[in-house]
Amino acid sequence: MDFMPIIAALKRQKTAAALIAIEIALCCAIICNALFLIIHRLERSSIPSGVPENELVRIQTTSVAEDPDVDARARAALQSLREIPGVQGATLINQVPFGRSSWNSGLRLKPEDKNTIVNATIYYGDAAMLSTLGAKLIAGRWFEESEFGDFATLLGAPDGEQPKIVIITRQLGQKLFGNENPLGREFAFGDVPVRVIGVLDHLVRPSIFDDATADCSLVFPVRMGAGYGAQYVLRTRPQDRDAVIAAAKKKLAEAMPNRIVLDTKGFDELRDENFKQDRVMAGLLIAVVVSLLVVTALGIVGLASFWVQRRRRQIGIRRALGATRGQILRYFQTENFLIVTVGIAVGMAAAFGISGWLMHHYELPRLPLYYLPVGAVALWLLGQIAVLAPALRAASVPPATATRPV
Amino acid sequence: MLKMTHLSKAFRTEVVETYALRDFSIHVREGEFVAVTGPSGSGKTTFLNIAGLLETPTGGTYELDGQDVGALGDDARSHIRNQKIGFIFQAFNLIPDLNIYDNVDVPLRYRKMSSAERKKRITEALERVGLSARMRHYPAELSGGQQQRVAIARALAGSPKLLLADEPTGNLDTQMARAVMQLLEEIHRDGATIVMVTHDPELAARAQRNVHVIDGQVVDLGEDPKLHMNVSRISA
Ligand SMILES: Nc1ncnc2c1ncn2[C@@H]1O[C@H](COP(=O)(O)OP(=O)(O)OP(=O)(O)O)[C@@H](O)[C@H]1O
Ligand SMILES: [Mg+2]
Repeated sequence: MDFMPIIAALKRQKTAAALIAIEIALCCAIICNALFLIIHRLERSSIPSGVPENELVRIQTTSVAEDPDVDARARAALQSLREIPGVQGATLINQVPFGRSSWNSGLRLKPEDKNTIVNATIYYGDAAMLSTLGAKLIAGRWFEESEFGDFATLLGAPDGEQPKIVIITRQLGQKLFGNENPLGREFAFGDVPVRVIGVLDHLVRPSIFDDATADCSLVFPVRMGAGYGAQYVLRTRPQDRDAVIAAAKKKLAEAMPNRIVLDTKGFDELRDENFKQDRVMAGLLIAVVVSLLVVTALGIVGLASFWVQRRRRQIGIRRALGATRGQILRYFQTENFLIVTVGIAVGMAAAFGISGWLMHHYELPRLPLYYLPVGAVALWLLGQIAVLAPALRAASVPPATATRPV
Repeated sequence: MLKMTHLSKAFRTEVVETYALRDFSIHVREGEFVAVTGPSGSGKTTFLNIAGLLETPTGGTYELDGQDVGALGDDARSHIRNQKIGFIFQAFNLIPDLNIYDNVDVPLRYRKMSSAERKKRITEALERVGLSARMRHYPAELSGGQQQRVAIARALAGSPKLLLADEPTGNLDTQMARAVMQLLEEIHRDGATIVMVTHDPELAARAQRNVHVIDGQVVDLGEDPKLHMNVSRISA
């Protein structure tokens, strides 16, 4: 198809053509960024946790009366939970992935360093933590029985009695030591140097402040008691979950008469809750994108129809001079393609402008370049779909219109 | 060149069916210059539209340049219009958004013709009608007579075998009408077959042969010897 005569004719229709181009440009700019935000949100909510979420349940308890022996009872209860049929593992830890409430600390390489390198979340877990959570150890080893301390002892103890060994996630290793092997390396936890003895593939944080550090977790060999947010985690097959929870509630009530169960939830449910906001936001943005596309498409349909109506006569003339229906159809399709292309070009510049502004004000990453060709193709398609009906109407203008104007 | 036999054309609306042409037979030979006259509404435009493949007849047969065009599809009819037929309309029918050069280019673009060839034809055609200096002007910037000459250039550029003109001078004053008529006569002398509808008896008299249409039927006035004298006098 020849562009030149179409461009020549468009020069005489600048306002209308510019209107469509601007509409496309706005649509392009907004949609590129909106799509990016949507995908960003959805990607967040599918972040790996490193644990089989549908097999894990957490049980939170709270005290209703003083009980000096509560820690001992809590550990006895843990033992009794393991006896429930269908329970494949049970552990008592201070926080759970996606559980929202979390213990965090800024880490430095050496105690004397001024600046923290990264903020990480701190898991305290017992010997059964690894097997119950099903997290994957990719280097080093898990803690030995003799290495575990009690949280209650740790609590009022001086820094020197903190654990000196730690297991970290791969991501935390990268943040701390770059590409070097973290195994055997030391960093400062508070004022205490700790040595890395194992590396986990993934273990997501209870709450994600920043996507780039979502997996920055470390585990200390510390047995929890009943208080301080300690939670039971049970591993069970999904189909046994309800029965196991019911049985666990009974066991806990028997073992700890002064505590009641506050909450039981599967890890999958915790993830859902954690990212509810993101999903709502993504849904909202999708609605915005769809309405914008519809409005833009309608704008194109409207203006193209108006144009076809106004140019009926010249379409008839072109037909009389030998244009086939296909040639008329392609004329309008090409015209739309040209206008949309101008709109896309302007829109991409605007997309980058908006992206820069979002980056600056909302600490979002820069719009990746590959969104632009994707957006362009989407808008070209949109334009072609929208112009099809008016263009077909144009193609059906009878050639006799040239001699019998209506 | 153009042979219609027992042709009819009915326009159907929801309420009535009007016959614009009825048992319409005519034979125009190659190289003829035929003037078609007749009262308003008698079917002249309908005849030209069917002759130019802009409309299809309801009945009868139509042979154009030795080919029965009755059964042709829309694309084939478009190609024939593009390659064999030149149209000149009463309302000039130039495309207002295109300049004169691009207007003449329109039918050539619908052929697969090299741009050098198109350029040659456009310049020649515009020279022939005396408007080479106005190539970059838009139709609205030209007088009616000039616009009609552009339309003639557009029709000529494709070197059609058959030129169909529907009241080509209807919108022009006498002087401009004469200039356009002169141009048509020149084109005819160069070998084109011309069928021209006109209300102007003076112009009709200058054609080789007069066809009168009344109520959708042909009353052929044949070749008037007086006309031959006229033609030979002009060409001499
Ligand atoms: N599209 C149409 N629908 C219905 N009737 C039509 C249509 N086109 C033409 N006619 C009718 O057909 C008849 C012939 O019309 P046509 O335009 O051929 O006449 P004409 O001889 O060219 O008239 P004029 O000298 O006024 O241009 C008229 O009665 C007209 O009303
Ligand atoms: Mg007419």
